[in-house]
Amino acid sequence: MFKPALTRLLNHLINQNSWARPQLQHFAGKAVRFNIPPVSGTLTILEDGGLAMAGESIEADAIVTIPLPVALRLLANDDAATTLTTLEGDTELAAALSKVLRSMQWEYEEDLSKLIGDIPAHEFAEFGRKAVDEVKKQAFNAAEMLAEYWQEEQPLIAKKRHVEQFIKDVDALRDDTERLAKRVEKLAEKITPQSNENPSS
Amino acid sequence: MSEKTTHFGFQTIEENEKARKVGEVFHSVARKYDLMNDVMSAGMHRGWKRFAVEVSGISEGDRVLDIAGGSGDLSRLFATKVGNTGSVVLTDINASMLAVGRDRLIDDGVSVPALQCDAEKLPFPDQHFDCVIVAFGLRNMTHKDKALTEMQRVLKVGGRLLVLEFSQIWKPLAPLYDAYSFKLLPLMGKLFAKDADSYQYLAESIRMHPDQETLKQMMLDAGFRKVDYYNLAAGAVALHKGWKT
Repeated sequence: MFKPALTRLLNHLINQNSWARPQLQHFAGKAVRFNIPPVSGTLTILEDGGLAMAGESIEADAIVTIPLPVALRLLANDDAATTLTTLEGDTELAAALSKVLRSMQWEYEEDLSKLIGDIPAHEFAEFGRKAVDEVKKQAFNAAEMLAEYWQEEQPLIAKKRHVEQFIKDVDALRDDTERLAKRVEKLAEKITPQSNENPSS
Repeated sequence: MSEKTTHFGFQTIEENEKARKVGEVFHSVARKYDLMNDVMSAGMHRGWKRFAVEVSGISEGDRVLDIAGGSGDLSRLFATKVGNTGSVVLTDINASMLAVGRDRLIDDGVSVPALQCDAEKLPFPDQHFDCVIVAFGLRNMTHKDKALTEMQRVLKVGGRLLVLEFSQIWKPLAPLYDAYSFKLLPLMGKLFAKDADSYQYLAESIRMHPDQETLKQMMLDAGFRKVDYYNLAAGAVALHKGWKT
């Protein structure tokens, strides 16, 4: 039921990001399934390099699985999160489409200008950008404040240097354990031949 | 049913009678066809057609064949997409429907060739079009398999066929849909188009048309390598897309 509306939206975005068409055209007719539990959807690449929601019966050529927390990190432009996504099937296709989707920008100011004119659209967009920046700043401040409280006042989360020290200690312990295991092994080897020789002598 | 008979709504008739009888229906409804489509679908048919054009993947310079294009809605949308370097051909077997569509396009300043022809014997060379579309027309064809094979023939390799047609609605809604089709639809036909019988035929022909999976298989049998379909309005309408490879 939502497929026509979503397809219209996708094509609108593709029209605003005309660089995407030539990149996708190479994969025309192929479909990629995106699993972001609990939701999933399949996109198909059109012959003109556009995008559409796939129909009911198509078999996906590639599957991209993105856990919800990773999807949120990707939305927040955290590039490191890309390593946590899983690609199956035609990985070249999946990687190309994922890259295009992440790089596409919605020109909302342009869309708004068609409804209310250029100047009010610019003012609205400027106001929106400032509001989003302010919300981000406040959210960051609040997160920093909570982090400090839980680290210093009511220790619930570990400090970075403590975590690093703990990791170093764990590494040292693992190395020591491995060395000890080797020594025990060597001692066992020394003892075993003697115990083998005794019964025959 | 013998080899020489076919369906005309719920009736079984001689095969050679179907084209004439369907012709009579569309001669009768031609003038009020768009008004009735708007009334019957609450304007949704325009959205379905726009969606079909969107998923066609047609770009500037492409060639499009609009089969059973009667009112010319799709030809108008495609003409905008293919631009001056591309071409759209509007065809219909019914002269009255074709005249209505052709005149309307000319009135709107859209110039596309309009051609009266039978979809089972398309007068075009092999591998000529990038896209063939048939919207709400396939169910009226006597030999759907022949028509699909012809559509496959005139498509270029990489071309696609789009079939927009009534289909099988989601089961829980079927009783409501039946009441609408067999009670309300003929009544609306009587009120708006003064032609209850034609709209009774439309309702019956929808029920006799293959469901989504059957039509998909028919397209595969006609030589399309891959077929996908979209259910629209809970399956009351389906858009099938087949690729020739």
